[in-house]
Amino acid sequence: MLDQQSDNLKIPEETLSWSGTGKAILNPFANFYHVSMEIIGLISVALKASTLLLNKRRRQLFYALFQRQVYNAGVSALYVNGVIGFLIGTLLISRLFDYLPRQIIEDQFGQIFMVVVFRELGPLISGIILIARSATAITSEIGYLRLQREFQVLNGLGINPVFLFLLPVFFAFPVSLFLMFIYFDVIVFLSSFAVVWISDPSISFTGLLANILSQITLNEIAINAVKAILGGMLIGIISIYFGAKVVDSFTEVTESISKATTAQLLVFFIINVLLSLLAYTQ
Amino acid sequence: MPLLVKNLNIEYPGKVLFKDLQVEIEDQKIVAVRTEVLDGGTTLLKGLAGMLDGIDGEVRLDGIDLLHMDPAQRALKVGYVYEQQGLVSLYDCFQNIALPLQFHTTTGNELVESRIFSLCEKFNVDRQILNEYPHALNDVQCRMINLLRALVIEPKLLLIDELEGGMSERVLGDTIDTLREEQKNNAMIVIITTADDLLLDQADYSYQIENNKLRECH
Repeated sequence: MLDQQSDNLKIPEETLSWSGTGKAILNPFANFYHVSMEIIGLISVALKASTLLLNKRRRQLFYALFQRQVYNAGVSALYVNGVIGFLIGTLLISRLFDYLPRQIIEDQFGQIFMVVVFRELGPLISGIILIARSATAITSEIGYLRLQREFQVLNGLGINPVFLFLLPVFFAFPVSLFLMFIYFDVIVFLSSFAVVWISDPSISFTGLLANILSQITLNEIAINAVKAILGGMLIGIISIYFGAKVVDSFTEVTESISKATTAQLLVFFIINVLLSLLAYTQ
Repeated sequence: MPLLVKNLNIEYPGKVLFKDLQVEIEDQKIVAVRTEVLDGGTTLLKGLAGMLDGIDGEVRLDGIDLLHMDPAQRALKVGYVYEQQGLVSLYDCFQNIALPLQFHTTTGNELVESRIFSLCEKFNVDRQILNEYPHALNDVQCRMINLLRALVIEPKLLLIDELEGGMSERVLGDTIDTLREEQKNNAMIVIITTADDLLLDQADYSYQIENNKLRECH
């Protein structure tokens, strides 16, 4: 017996047959559990499909799509990341110089920058930008590819759709997020220095930079890297997951984008909070 | 017999499309299947191509069981031409045509390119559209790119879902003539679903879907 639509990314609709109040209370938890399990399943599918990259020809096909994703998600985000970083640098960090005594600033600017920008704002704002401008686009793209039955086309060609549609996002999103962290931190530093320097030209650029760099330990870098890898990977997978839920109607695409964005924001905030907590215990 | 279909059953929930289908087709033949709206023509082709899960029966091509074959190996034996769309939006037409060769074989880029250009010439496809993305193509161009992608692998079985839509009789006739020429170089079987009398006349055999089976017309 045939399914109406068959392909490798078939994600069953989970339904539970409880009734009444019990259903109302438990269904959201049950749904959350099932979605989590399916997303973990999708990660394992992606990891398994990664073995296809051992073949040189296939790696070339993958690399073209990977580059496209890094460009769209990471490189093109420089503009928006730059503008937000500039605003935060000029308006927020530079204000500190007005409120705190100069001695404290000179001694503790590095620590303040590291905690506020490097550890918290950089990852959080970059993640939100990735979700808002790239993950929504991926969910919509995957939904469109499903509507066009392109997953079936690839299956018919003996090509696993996971290889062309999922893997590039799976690897490109962490790279893009990490790039966005870097832009953000650099731009916040440069813009905050510029504003401070205008009001007090005796402040030394190298002094402030050295102050910040002395605070950024290997642990901090590792925690930010984990935020980028785990956050980017999960944001990408969640986009693919909800995009692949689209079956027949264009309205399902908008529904998928909404659900995916909600899940991505929650997941990314949770990852950030947990990893930041870990950093504070160091 | 190069293509042997035995006891093939295809059904959707609540609807039987084909029951105990038996067909034998010789090499280098063009077979037309007359189809009407929603009578299962497309499903039949997908079933023969091994693209559907959960169907019973046997489809053997040169003795090889297509239904239980590794999809990657099957993709090098069976070419499929979609009636609509059927291309990968992320790639331009050239990349779409090259995709099966690049993914499944070690054929060098130069050979892939020369094979694609040669097919374009034979089937009168303007090379300029090779740089276009699928959304920029009209229906006929889209089907021709589908056809070139199916032929680039030099398949043993070519399945074409309603080639004629929007094509003039001249283009359709030329395309069939070119397919016959291709059959001389590559001994393939061509099965086309169609509602077009010209195609039905030009085919070596034609069938009609009737009572969940194929009935030979002439």
